[in-house]
Amino acid sequence: MPKAFVPLTQFVNESKSIPREHPLDQPVARWTEEEVLGEEVVEAGVAILRTRGCYWSIKEGCSMCGYFNDTVPGGVSNDMLHSQWEKIRHSLKGKRYAKIYTSGSFLDPTEVPLDFANDVMSDMADMGIEKVLVESLPEFVHPKHFNYSNSPKIEIAIGLESSNPVVLDKSVNKRLRWPHFVKVCKTAHENGAEVKAYVLLKPPYLGERDAIEDAVQSATDAAPYVDKISINPVNVQKNTVVEKLWFRNEWTAPWLWSVVEVLERCKDLPAKVYSDPTGGGTRRGAHNCNDCNGQILDALKEHRLGHGNLKGLECECRSRWEVLKHQSSYRRNGAEPHGYRRGFGNGRRF
Amino acid sequence: MEPLAHEGLARLLQIDDSLQTPHVISREDLTDTQDLISGGTIKIGKPVDLPPKPLGLDSNKAPYLQLSEEIAVLDHASSLQPQKLVEIASHFRKEAGYSRLLYAPAVEPSDIPILAYLGVDIFDDLNVELRSATGWALDDGSWTKVNIKTKDLQSQNQEELERWLLKIRTSIMNGTLRELVEVTSLHNPRVAQILHYSTSLLIEKGARRTVMIRANNLSLENPSVVDFQQRLLDYVPPAKNMVLLVLPCSARKPYFKSSSHKRFYNTIKEVDNYLTLHTVSVTSPLGLVPRELEFCYPAAHYDIAVTGDWNASEVQMLREQFSRLKPEKHYLRAIVHAGSSSRIITELLRERKVDTIDTESEKPSSFEGLKNLQEVTRTAIAEIPVLSSKDRAKGEAIGLAKFQYGESSPFLTESEISGHMPYKLRCGDLATISPRVGGLGLTLTGAVKYASNGGPSVTAEDFKLVGDLFAVGVKSYDGHWVIGDQVVIKQNGKVTGVGFARMNPEEMLSMSRGLAVEVRHHA
Ligand SMILES: [Zn+2]
Repeated sequence: MPKAFVPLTQFVNESKSIPREHPLDQPVARWTEEEVLGEEVVEAGVAILRTRGCYWSIKEGCSMCGYFNDTVPGGVSNDMLHSQWEKIRHSLKGKRYAKIYTSGSFLDPTEVPLDFANDVMSDMADMGIEKVLVESLPEFVHPKHFNYSNSPKIEIAIGLESSNPVVLDKSVNKRLRWPHFVKVCKTAHENGAEVKAYVLLKPPYLGERDAIEDAVQSATDAAPYVDKISINPVNVQKNTVVEKLWFRNEWTAPWLWSVVEVLERCKDLPAKVYSDPTGGGTRRGAHNCNDCNGQILDALKEHRLGHGNLKGLECECRSRWEVLKHQSSYRRNGAEPHGYRRGFGNGRRF
Repeated sequence: MEPLAHEGLARLLQIDDSLQTPHVISREDLTDTQDLISGGTIKIGKPVDLPPKPLGLDSNKAPYLQLSEEIAVLDHASSLQPQKLVEIASHFRKEAGYSRLLYAPAVEPSDIPILAYLGVDIFDDLNVELRSATGWALDDGSWTKVNIKTKDLQSQNQEELERWLLKIRTSIMNGTLRELVEVTSLHNPRVAQILHYSTSLLIEKGARRTVMIRANNLSLENPSVVDFQQRLLDYVPPAKNMVLLVLPCSARKPYFKSSSHKRFYNTIKEVDNYLTLHTVSVTSPLGLVPRELEFCYPAAHYDIAVTGDWNASEVQMLREQFSRLKPEKHYLRAIVHAGSSSRIITELLRERKVDTIDTESEKPSSFEGLKNLQEVTRTAIAEIPVLSSKDRAKGEAIGLAKFQYGESSPFLTESEISGHMPYKLRCGDLATISPRVGGLGLTLTGAVKYASNGGPSVTAEDFKLVGDLFAVGVKSYDGHWVIGDQVVIKQNGKVTGVGFARMNPEEMLSMSRGLAVEVRHHA
């Protein structure tokens, strides 16, 4: 392994902390959200199963991912998973689209047992759910892991993060390789599943412009092999490398203008590219100045649901973003001075 | 490159005919690369490669600097925790050496003086560009919001930044960079914190400049002041069974040259056995200055507004200095004749259980005051065993030598001591009083002994040493020193000179130009 791996591995491990105790019979969260199904906008049911969590986060983990905070290191028994499912299935009644997340890989049989997964899938099919989204690391995208006896249409979301190996190695700390990603996209399609790719915007260490270029390039590379691409602006999750860098002001969350630029430059790609920024408009998530956060987030939502484009967005802070973008790679880290997005004015220090 | 001057860890370097550091580059002097790792180039006279960006690294862990052939980069300089920044600064030259220029990208103008003081050579205008884009004008290192949108705000601010750097370079030349840093710290808590934490690093590694300290509240943390105070621990009064006489300081330095101290001296000189009186002056920010140390920097080089009031931190400092001087151990009793400072000094001495007499003279150098002083001293020293002037001179030399030379000082004082303070004291043919050295200055014979007793030495190439020694002629070195200390010059195994170090040890080897040792005596 190249020598440069060593520091980030250690850094990731030092940033983690042991998750606090959680009730095992309760899912992490449940909610509903608007989502596109075919040509329609429907209300999707969303739930996060509490599981042992991502195998990679147990070993090392990714620099931006704090999902291990919601996991149970000892694992969750089948009984408890079924109790969680009882609570989830109620909220899925009448829904046509479901998203069943874990804080890891749904397709990892050591995290979500195959029997349990099979039960859940056939239950959803019986309930009339048409499509279900699950997430997985590429190494678990294997036909035997989603060869359910009865299930809605399967959509597998894979965190590609970046198609650039330097970003994966030195910024994200994810051992994914591009050829393998391409291969599992084909496997998924050949076995009747759709693929959604997650692409990061501004992983740690990257400056604003490098981040934009990397996201555009990654989306462009991935588009021929996937059905949808979600641009995920990196947000600050607890006990992560990103949080440490953010506390030290060596990195700040990306601007919403950068999200807009990426989407604009990806609008003609063969896959649908959109973004629903986690923590958007807050200091821990993608944000601009206080005056325009709401406006941009609304526009992104309309864009995601196919209702509108991203034209005509304006704010005073846009020119500040342009200036920063031009000098960002000379700054050598992903930071900018406190208060810059607000023009160093008074009020909350954005 | 040629070092022209040092102050603290700062260096004023001549890079080429028109370029000196600390230097600020503009964004146009930087080039970018297509990949994420490479650092691109920076133009300092000519374009040179920057080291790779710190991708994947934890800024908390050494090594702290990114290195290319000619440049070392201190990333995140504007956000590192003050204490961490100072810790990293103590590694600067170990990691970067002296031949690399140290560049701190994207720092605020207000941080530049303190970063220069800690050794950063190169800065840029990236943050100035961001401020200009949001309507702020730079003025003497700080920002003012301007409501009118000037089109040339950026170029105006760039010019102001250039001026700011010129001011920093001039300050290093004059030895007043610390003053500039102190002024900057008044309205910048971050700078104040960094400055606060850097005192011991500056004592340990900083260049000593014998410039006038225009003292203020921050001078209690001035490395020269703190160093002087700490070394009082090594000092011993001239003899046992003396009586401590605490006098006020004077505006004129050294104090013994002032009219008030001349009057004090003439007054006590008339008392029998007056040699058993040991004068120590009380002053801020130094605290206590024994008569023999009045030449020692910065005792003769400071200026302060005297109010007669002692604030809490000054009182604490005085208390600390008394604990270093240990009067209860060295003196039979104490006489306090320090005007408005008498009350607090008497209190502090009594805290240490010293038998103390306050002359209670509000105006110590008035006729009334002097009369008081004479009466009190007469009774106080009447029954004390006589101290000969020879023994007293010997004691003075030992105290001063210990203060200046620490553990290796016996090599000086085992010689035949003659003369007396202030000017005529000499240690055989080894050392004489020198105001420039700030105490006992080594002769060539003294240098030979100093080197064989662990004193630092520089080995020069074999040539006839006339005048000063330049870096190009330095072959190796032995021992440790900071700039301003006395070092011995050896050639061909023989001592051929002694003088003041004008470069750091490793720097003498790295530099091919510039003054290495300012020679005082040569063979
Ligand atoms: Zn805005």
